[in-house]
Amino acid sequence: MLAAGRGGRIAQYALVLVVAITLNFLLPRMMPGNPLALLAGVDVGLMTAAERSDVLERVGLDRPLYVQYFDYWGKLLQGDFGYSYRQKRPITEMILAAMPWTLLITGVSLLISGVLGMAFGAISAWRRAGWLDVSLLWTMITINSLPSFWLGMLLISVVAVNWGILPSFGAVTPAARLTGVAWWIDVAQHAILPVITLSVVSTPNIYLTMRYTMLGVLGEDFIRTARAKGLRERSVLVRHVIRNALAPVVTVLALRLGFAFGGTVVVETVFSYPGLGRLIFEAVGGRDYPVMQAAFLLFTVAVLLSNLLADMLYPLCDPRSKNG
Amino acid sequence: MPSSLKGLRIRLGAALILTLLLSAVLSACAPATVAPTPADGDTEAAADVPAADAPAAEGSSTLRIAIVGDESTLTPYTYITGYPGWNLLLLQYDTLMQLDLAGVPQPWLATNAEYSDDGLTVTLDLREDVTWHDGEPFTAEDVKFSVEYYKAHPRSRFTAALTPVASVETDGDYRVILTLANPAPSLELGTLSDVPMMPQHIWADVETPEEYAGEDANVGTGPYKLVDYTPDQFYIFEANADYFAGAPAVDELVAIKFADDAGTLAALRTNEVDMIVRPIGPEQIDLLAAQDGLAVAQGPLFTTQMLNYDMQRAPFNNLAVRQAISLGVDRQDIIDTVFLGYGTVGSPGWVHPVSPFYNPDVVASFDPVQAQAILDEAGIVDSDGDGVRELDGEPLAFGLIVNGSDSLRLRISELVAAMLADVGMAVEISAVESTTWEEAVWPGFDVNQGRNYDMAMWGWSAPVQADVVRSASLIHSDPAIGNLNLTGYVSEEADALGAALRTEVDADARAELAGELQTLIARDLPFVLLLYPDGAYAYNESVYADWAFMSGQGVFHKLSLLVPEARP
Repeated sequence: MLAAGRGGRIAQYALVLVVAITLNFLLPRMMPGNPLALLAGVDVGLMTAAERSDVLERVGLDRPLYVQYFDYWGKLLQGDFGYSYRQKRPITEMILAAMPWTLLITGVSLLISGVLGMAFGAISAWRRAGWLDVSLLWTMITINSLPSFWLGMLLISVVAVNWGILPSFGAVTPAARLTGVAWWIDVAQHAILPVITLSVVSTPNIYLTMRYTMLGVLGEDFIRTARAKGLRERSVLVRHVIRNALAPVVTVLALRLGFAFGGTVVVETVFSYPGLGRLIFEAVGGRDYPVMQAAFLLFTVAVLLSNLLADMLYPLCDPRSKNG
Repeated sequence: MPSSLKGLRIRLGAALILTLLLSAVLSACAPATVAPTPADGDTEAAADVPAADAPAAEGSSTLRIAIVGDESTLTPYTYITGYPGWNLLLLQYDTLMQLDLAGVPQPWLATNAEYSDDGLTVTLDLREDVTWHDGEPFTAEDVKFSVEYYKAHPRSRFTAALTPVASVETDGDYRVILTLANPAPSLELGTLSDVPMMPQHIWADVETPEEYAGEDANVGTGPYKLVDYTPDQFYIFEANADYFAGAPAVDELVAIKFADDAGTLAALRTNEVDMIVRPIGPEQIDLLAAQDGLAVAQGPLFTTQMLNYDMQRAPFNNLAVRQAISLGVDRQDIIDTVFLGYGTVGSPGWVHPVSPFYNPDVVASFDPVQAQAILDEAGIVDSDGDGVRELDGEPLAFGLIVNGSDSLRLRISELVAAMLADVGMAVEISAVESTTWEEAVWPGFDVNQGRNYDMAMWGWSAPVQADVVRSASLIHSDPAIGNLNLTGYVSEEADALGAALRTEVDADARAELAGELQTLIARDLPFVLLLYPDGAYAYNESVYADWAFMSGQGVFHKLSLLVPEARP
């Protein structure tokens, strides 16, 4: 029974993957426009029709859609993502170069916003309707309505331009030729403002989830029972309330981990940070089909895996689902 | 209850303090390495120049410029944009001729160009003291190879630029003879000053030039060598001390890639870059010029802001409507409102007033009263009193498509819509993503595929305006010649003038044809030219101040980085 359930789930994930790969292939081609300008250069309008079709032929875009589709599957199964039309570089190389930067800022900010969101959420729920809860709630709702680009630009203008204490853009100081510890410090300095921006804007959601679920748990009968048993408040909070409120929050965090692979287009743009979000954004802008396909695939797989992770973590966090 | 929470609170507090401490430690390190110095980052330079704020001109100098968007590996087959990609490319490579600051072709790799009487044979003598970055001599064989290679491996700009050249022969090591299919008045401007020469000894065996990524892929003869490219982040160029025109003015050039314009502005203000390659927005000019150390170079640009419309469909197939549009838009108001005065009123004949080919008899006028009179006279009146005129029973209403990412163009569109409403036209603006907009106006970059728009905000890059012969491509009805005729303009007169302009080698006769063509364009109005924005370029003058404005083209080009005596 259990094995069949697990097999079913794997089949489900596989099906989603196949559908996603097909959509990843189709969607870029359904958008208006084509990658001709990337392939032949911006002055493509100066070329003759024969030269233009020559260019499309070289990358196989002249073939029927279904041929391109099967060709895409064939290459994919061999782990070949192809060449970028824009940068004329192997896509695997481009993704591997961008991924660490994105994971650095999204990972650290996920950690920070996770810790802060859960902590503040717990405090808020515990002190429901008290001044602490009300002020936290208002602060979080205010932060939640801040656009991340605005916050990023504010930080640049205050911290980088006015105070001059942190760099305003990029992941490293260009052409500084730093090595060892100096390089790491440089990387950390460049990451601070993007991480602050991302942490600030993603904390409210986690906070609100934590607060909401904890309030739900606090109203449950078993909490009253625990208190009636004479358990100390701290023990009630940690062993019963937080424990039971954790599952939805962990699910949110796991999903965010998946979305982290999609990069954060807005923050990466404001800080000119060389991550996956920029990669995807520029690929879409120029109709760089192979890069779009590869980046969307990576994103799909990451979201699916984080879903799987959430599925697996849920029973560990939720005492009830152990027996279920 | 409060006391039992203490443990949790302490732990939370500790975590918070730890986080704060961590960021404090990290930011405490900041001033040491990010302190802005003119030639920062280079430890060797720092050792040579003890004073941190010593002018960069002494010792080893570094210049950091901000570009928006990656330009790939910057070979003739991989660079991406026309500006600044082509300009960065030509820091490493040279052309046979080179535009001077007035935009006139001058001898460069070729010392002279002799034309046969029929204009079909061009003999070029080459400099004999030029070497490639790897030390190999540059010879006539390289020129012949480059021409043939671009023709065999299409790359839009250079393959198209070489269309006039039918064949190429060498005569000894330093003489090249080009045979043309037709007389080509644009040869020096559009071909010899545009196409970079490639080294035969490196590219001869390369089958797929787009993917060639050998160590020697960036070997040219130019003033700079590309020594480091970190994709999506930066390029480092090193001066070519053996450059035939003399060592360039700056030892190291770092081109830093930004994601958007706002980032470049912040970085210039923090001294993280020394120059922004893109023209800055009009609202930034006074702001940046006011900051200590920063300066703004301004001049006319050959880029255009114009209204395109599909002349094959109603109501734009009606001359009265086109005239009313041209008379109904207040070009000076658009310049004053959107460009804060930094622009030149568009000539209805296409050619920029600073061009030697400008026909001063062709002038734009703003006259909404006359616009209304013309429409009234043509029977295009508002018969149902809704404020919108009717043509053949249909309201004079149409869409105006614009690329939404361009905020200046969006603002122009809004003003145009309001101005046209005053003469009885209903304009609905649709702001879309760039590629969608481009595909509507210019499907597949191929005028044979027609058009899918009513009216569009449009603009051409500087090269189209810089060469008056190219105005033929905007108006000719044969797609092979009129490859930029995006408005469906068909006119026998225009075809005849355009064809003549393309082959007239006599300069005076060409100027006359260009003048006539401007009169014709202003009469038929195949598009409405609104304005030519001025170019404004911000730079840090304490780091490098020798930027030179090339007429219509801006300050970022090869000559700006050569010492002034070496500029032709």
